[in-house]
Amino acid sequence: MAVNALSLRQGRVPSRAVDDISRTGRGVPAPAGSALWLHLHLPLLPLEAMTRGVAGDVPRVVVQGGQRRAEILCCNRHAAALGIRPGLPLGAAHALGGFELVERNPRAEARALRQLCVWATQFSPQVSAEGEDGLVLEIRGSLRLFGGLDALLARVRRGLRQLGYRADYAVAPTPLAAGLLARARPREIITETCQLATRLAGMPLAALRLPAAWRDALAQLGVRNLGDCRRLPRGGLARRFSPELVNQLDRLFGQLPDPRPAFALPGRFEGAIDLPWEVDNARGLMLAVERLVWELVAFLTARQVLARRLHWFLLGRDGQRERVPLELARPGRDTGHLLLLMRELLARRQLAVPVHGVLLEVDELVATGAPRCDDLFGARDAAQGEAYAAFVDRLRARYGEAALRSLRMATVHHPVQASRRLPAMVSHQPGRRSLAHDETRLAPRPLWLLHRPVRLHVRNGQPIFHGTLQLAPERERIQNAWWGEERLDRDYFVACHPRGDRLWLYRELDGARQWYLHGIFE
Amino acid sequence: MNFEELIRRAGVWRAGELSPRSVRASGHAALDAMLPGGGWPCSGLTEILSPAAARGALHAVLPALATITREERWVVWINPPHAPYAPMLDAHGVDLSRVLVVELPEAAAERDGEALWACEQALRFDGCGAALAWLDEASMLALRRLQLAAEAGATWGVLFRPPARARQASPAPLRVALEVSPAAGDGSPRPLELTVLKARGGRSGARCRIVPAEATCHA
Repeated sequence: MAVNALSLRQGRVPSRAVDDISRTGRGVPAPAGSALWLHLHLPLLPLEAMTRGVAGDVPRVVVQGGQRRAEILCCNRHAAALGIRPGLPLGAAHALGGFELVERNPRAEARALRQLCVWATQFSPQVSAEGEDGLVLEIRGSLRLFGGLDALLARVRRGLRQLGYRADYAVAPTPLAAGLLARARPREIITETCQLATRLAGMPLAALRLPAAWRDALAQLGVRNLGDCRRLPRGGLARRFSPELVNQLDRLFGQLPDPRPAFALPGRFEGAIDLPWEVDNARGLMLAVERLVWELVAFLTARQVLARRLHWFLLGRDGQRERVPLELARPGRDTGHLLLLMRELLARRQLAVPVHGVLLEVDELVATGAPRCDDLFGARDAAQGEAYAAFVDRLRARYGEAALRSLRMATVHHPVQASRRLPAMVSHQPGRRSLAHDETRLAPRPLWLLHRPVRLHVRNGQPIFHGTLQLAPERERIQNAWWGEERLDRDYFVACHPRGDRLWLYRELDGARQWYLHGIFE
Repeated sequence: MNFEELIRRAGVWRAGELSPRSVRASGHAALDAMLPGGGWPCSGLTEILSPAAARGALHAVLPALATITREERWVVWINPPHAPYAPMLDAHGVDLSRVLVVELPEAAAERDGEALWACEQALRFDGCGAALAWLDEASMLALRRLQLAAEAGATWGVLFRPPARARQASPAPLRVALEVSPAAGDGSPRPLELTVLKARGGRSGARCRIVPAEATCHA
């Protein structure tokens, strides 16, 4: 409680302020130089929230206000190069050149900021949104994990670029100072609380987000920067404006604790990207998909889990949604693999309706390292199993679920059911030799089975197939249990083709007694 | 300086030294004797040129496939002409749990190069022992890709192609023509006649005759 003692000793703080101070200070661990905050300020969030899903290096602006009084809220650097500035009336901007125009959508901005908070939890468990256009992370505890401040910042910058954001950032021992610096002097890094007073003294007051009335009043007093403000008597400042102003300054300089509510990571992933206009080509969605995959992987990393199934939705105009499921043969969170699969899925897709947004939901999460019941690979084979799963995923994404088959045997006489084509196994399962090998009766079986038996014509009582077939004398009667699903009542023969092939035929025992070609020996 | 030494100094590669580094017994003594290195190669492409109707061509490689599955590596069948009959594969010693059959959807099967793509993916993944594909038309470039994939993945790519393709140049280090002898008429398996068309590190023109092992299924 050194902070309180200090304030009391100065004796100029009115009793209400003291109450405030002691209330805030009680029970909260003193910030005392331990915390380090990274503030990410997103000056272009209104623009990026709407356009980060579409490519194009062209001038873009966001406008707000009604039809009559529309003005530029923010613009990208291409538009700025034309001379367009925030606050410019739309009409005046039009005179400067052509640009793509998007209307402001606060709902999309709020969602984008929430998704950014989810993404940022991969760097720190303490993340919170700051206002409408920023977020702040406590990173002291993460420095060692990420290999130092520079490495961490590099990763954050790269990550933001992957998501399609441009952010100004700053690092300081208090969240308020970090925010102040990020907005006014981006890329500034202050690591010790004791440096705050001198380094912040020259900061203009405008950067501190104060109510306009206070700002004007302070300006009238001749207070220009933070240094001036701190030199004013605390009691007077508290009386004249509000004790809150004094508290605010104390929090800024690290003399009062400034706890932030930590963003609670949801139990499932849900991310969406609005598109500024309709996209009717599936390939045009790839950028939005890519950004969502990066967000998903960050979420999975933060939660230390793997995804098994990705539910993609392509959102149409009137609440229509087209579902694009993506199932992984083995739970994972590899960005490269996921992007490859999505490229395959979208490359061949015809969109049913023009798409207005992309939504990704993932709720089946698998803990990393948790034993998987379907995984019977030893540790030695883990890498191979991984490679096999990736191969299965890639083929499934391209050809669909049904394209991959495993073979199994069953203990039945029915020659078709004895060879079963099952959906591909997700991973290897040791073979079970399911046939009883002590049986004595042996019968010839072909190497190949036709997917569908071919009905044969008959000439002079003999089946023909590109010529008369010569039947071997043995016949094998195969009948299944009468309660079976499919009635089976057949005589099987081995037949020789004049060309030399050996074929497997059967003749129905009931009905029209038709002949069928069922298999090929060689 | 004798001749042997001279040759070594000149950096001459001799055909015999180019035979595949590792081979797998084919399961047929006569075939092993004919193949360079004494068996089917463990990696790289092998083309088997046989008439479309001669589905028994599979018998030439079946014992080697069985070995691969028992080595706990996968055998991937890309768009086989019919369904391989599981009990028969089992009877030949193939571990079915290591068999994966890729049946391309009709729309994809009609597109050029889809089977090649699937085959390349199979050849490249770690843990795959062999990929079998039934191809007719394939450009030199596509085959070269497959050969590179098979070398990189240390996998064996077996391409079954019609005999007419023998005239086409191919980057496959081993090409074998296969014919099935006429049936004896008694229902026993028919012998296969194999001729080496091209073999890196071996002699072309070598011939052999093998009789597929008669395997019966318990019925």
